[in-house]
Amino acid sequence: MNLSGILVIATPEWVETVVTELNAMEGIEVHQTDPVTGRIIVVQEATDIHAEIEGVKRIKAMPHVVMADMVYHYFADDARAYDAMPAELTEDTQVCVPAYLNT
Amino acid sequence: MGITRREFMKNSVAASVAASAAAVVGLPLSTDAEAAIAQSEAGWQWDKGACRFCGTGCGIMIATKDGRIVATKGDPKAPVNKGLNCVKGYFNGKIMYGQDRLTTPLLRMTDGKFDKKGKFVPVSWDKAMEIMVEKFMAAYKEKGPHGVGLFGSGQWTVPEGYVAAKLWKVGFRSNNIDPNARHCMASAVAAFMQTFGIDEPAGNYDDIEHTDTAILWGANMAEMHPILWSRITDRRLTHKEMKVVNLSTYSNMSSDIADLEIIFKPSGDLSIQNYIAREIVKRGAVDHEFVKKNGQFATGPYDIGYGFRPKNADKFHSPAEMEVVKNEQVRVLDKWEAIGQRRKEGDVVQQANAATAGKDWAISFEDFAKALEPYDLDYCVATAKGDPDESDEAFKKKLVELADYYCDPKRKVVSYWTMGFNQHQRGTWVNEQCYTNHLLTGKQSKPGNGAFSLTGQPSACGTAREVGTFSHRLPADMVVMNPKHRALSEKLWKLPAKTLNPQMGSHYVKIMRDLEDGTCKWAMVQVNNPWQNTANLNHWIKAAREMDNFIVCCDGYPTVSAKVADLVLPAAMIFEKWGFYGNAERRTQCWRQQVKPVGESMGDMWILLEMAKRIKIKDCWGEQKIAGLKAPGFEDGKLPSVIDEAVKMGYNPEASLYDALFATPAHKKAYPWPDKVAKGHGNHIAEDLGWFAEKAMFEEYRAFGTDHGHDLAPFDVYYDDAVRGLKWPVVLKDGKWVETGWRFNEEYDPYVKKGQGIYFYGNDGNALVMGDLDKPGDGSVKVKLDGKAKIYFRPYATPVEEPDTHFNLWLCTGRVLEHWHSGSMTRRVPELHRAVPNAVCWIHPKDADARGLKRNDLVWVESRRGKVKVRIETGGRNRVPRGLVYVPWFDESVLINKVCLDSTCPISKETDFKKCSVKVYKA
Repeated sequence: MNLSGILVIATPEWVETVVTELNAMEGIEVHQTDPVTGRIIVVQEATDIHAEIEGVKRIKAMPHVVMADMVYHYFADDARAYDAMPAELTEDTQVCVPAYLNT
Repeated sequence: MGITRREFMKNSVAASVAASAAAVVGLPLSTDAEAAIAQSEAGWQWDKGACRFCGTGCGIMIATKDGRIVATKGDPKAPVNKGLNCVKGYFNGKIMYGQDRLTTPLLRMTDGKFDKKGKFVPVSWDKAMEIMVEKFMAAYKEKGPHGVGLFGSGQWTVPEGYVAAKLWKVGFRSNNIDPNARHCMASAVAAFMQTFGIDEPAGNYDDIEHTDTAILWGANMAEMHPILWSRITDRRLTHKEMKVVNLSTYSNMSSDIADLEIIFKPSGDLSIQNYIAREIVKRGAVDHEFVKKNGQFATGPYDIGYGFRPKNADKFHSPAEMEVVKNEQVRVLDKWEAIGQRRKEGDVVQQANAATAGKDWAISFEDFAKALEPYDLDYCVATAKGDPDESDEAFKKKLVELADYYCDPKRKVVSYWTMGFNQHQRGTWVNEQCYTNHLLTGKQSKPGNGAFSLTGQPSACGTAREVGTFSHRLPADMVVMNPKHRALSEKLWKLPAKTLNPQMGSHYVKIMRDLEDGTCKWAMVQVNNPWQNTANLNHWIKAAREMDNFIVCCDGYPTVSAKVADLVLPAAMIFEKWGFYGNAERRTQCWRQQVKPVGESMGDMWILLEMAKRIKIKDCWGEQKIAGLKAPGFEDGKLPSVIDEAVKMGYNPEASLYDALFATPAHKKAYPWPDKVAKGHGNHIAEDLGWFAEKAMFEEYRAFGTDHGHDLAPFDVYYDDAVRGLKWPVVLKDGKWVETGWRFNEEYDPYVKKGQGIYFYGNDGNALVMGDLDKPGDGSVKVKLDGKAKIYFRPYATPVEEPDTHFNLWLCTGRVLEHWHSGSMTRRVPELHRAVPNAVCWIHPKDADARGLKRNDLVWVESRRGKVKVRIETGGRNRVPRGLVYVPWFDESVLINKVCLDSTCPISKETDFKKCSVKVYKA
């Protein structure tokens, strides 16, 4: 999973239109909007880095978009791998002597 | 189960973007969100505090309800972060509530008695203190004041660090106290002191909103200082001229918005900086007026070694290790090192100045320019080009563009760095080179212009540096070796003359070496994790577990250091106590205790004071033998007994160090508990001691810096509701405490007199002997440094260990965004743990291919010193060039410091964690 945080700046009078179009795009979520400055915060989910960059280019090419830049990029591994927690973080009860210390 | 990891990450990403957008326009929350917040916050009590993590020093607001922290948020009134928080910052309130929090003292015992080979068993505080002090006194009597050591911290609060420094340096007459800040800031400190004669940055974070150029040298700000990065991002998006340059040994997240990315070879930064200086001179971009008034060209010796054991190293190191360590005595120069140092390839150079690495002398501008001559673009390609897949021409073009930025007189430039410069075998040099380029162009100590050293810890500046918890320091930039500084400190502390020990103590790595060779037999750890954070760990683990040493570890969680200790003391954490932190822009900030400590845990300051209650003046202030002591007035190698003199001054030799030095009648009277500044908040230490120790210690400490360029406001001023920290020097002006934005600048700094313009007062009264590039002169010509900073020439030096046919890759270590330091806190926050559960080894796909490896394979990373098992990653946020691997150090299951080399900068004694050679193969 690739997540990118994109700052989009639209012409203020067209913000609503741009937001609607963004929301209709696959893998795109609009998180915040500032109608005064035309700033829109978008999180994009993409399968790989190519799709991610293509996505930004697509936004840049939209009508009424002044600027779109990737501000934050997050790349994640297979989500299942993260469910496993190390033993010292999952001890059920508050223990006086953490097992880790005496191993 | 709360939100899913995916949702969590999306929110984090959105928040980070909002951060960059909000810094200027204040992007508001949606009205739905506002309404939801108002409803959920009923009955919460909000109070101000500072973030527990990096050195940025973001203000946070903490909400408590029924004795628990229920929420934290970015403080909208905090000038540093303007209401924003990074991913770690959101979880300040959660770090105290991990499942395995230590709640009681634990001692290794067998059959009810202390046994070094025994298992940890809960004991009372009284029993813990009894055995701790017994072992302490045994080591102290056998080995003297330097037979005991304290591993301190840049995460100590200001009063904690002050108590620790006073107890050690005054009470025990021992300078064996050194903070983990040695690993992170020492090179910056050494360079500040050498260049400006006074520590810490001239500018502040507002430089970002004034500048046209942010140049990152070995600072992945996007991950390590996300909030400052958001301010830079915002500047980049809103200021047309703004350029961002990222110099690094691998491509990282900071490159995403950079206009220019330069991947350089480890230690190539030394060459690139000299190339820039050479261009500044060649292009006529020197601001001669500024340089003449404010600068003095200088240099120092090159034969300074690599910070290994000075002698008998072969008794402790394996033959494989000695292949590298032997360079401490003799170095054979390679081609490029020889050219850069005006020598011949193959020259055999005795490292004659290893013990005097910091000496320096004045040189002429002509000599300075001559020394730069070899550092042209071809030299940089040979010594600094870090990506073998980049063409020479492309690399050269980038360097020219970088030089353009520094040379353009109209362009404002801020250079930022963190560990890339500081953790460097020539860390002090590379810091100084950066000042050189700013001083040559006059781009220093002005809004938007300056070289800015960032810090990694919340109080590396405020506590480690300003309080003086290093083995050579006293408060307010004074040092133990200087007789005037000792005399002033003895006066302020009301001590007999010669109480303070003039012999520099052991620095952090040396305390480890002392434990290994039996020089030191007792050590305490506070607020850090030496057995995870120190390079070449196998040696130190053995020293702790197999030698006759006693190790005490104070922590909130069972760290690696707790695991190798003999006694573990449960320490209260951040918002369980009162405290002050000082951030990288000289801003001192405070917080109140918000909740009671978990279990029986107590604050680190209480632990130190409790220890002081059990040791008497007469135990420490008699005659003491100090190995190596030769300071004037101490020629017999001994600290004299000061007991008779102390009695005359009113001390009782039978009194405890606690009663004599801390809980004095004057302090108890002036600083009672409760105090109205508490506004109903508790204080578990004051409630136990019966007086307000934090306030008393802060006020006592404040006397050192007042009228000394380090002025702080009174304790209560910082707790004022309207104050969000103050940047020192803070001076009283028209009845108000006023902070200082830019130091050394007449317009802002109260220490600069009218008409002086820019004036570097830290060097007032100092002088340098005039010499040439190779040696100081005979001393007949001296140059006064009043008002001046030194402009150093420092040469390129090849790293002491380089990849060869056997260990054929560079290893660089560092952090990731989600975790902080050794992960002892952040790994206990499930959201952060899930985001990055384990360290991985980033490797170039072609390097992986060549070794028959694919992504996620388990590999060994092995050096001459040790090996660790880790999974490899060929994609993701860090893109390493061929020939280099990167492994973060937060993960205790991947103790990468077993692999790292314990070479230090010989001047600053800071370890180079950024380069050594390894091989990688399938596990």
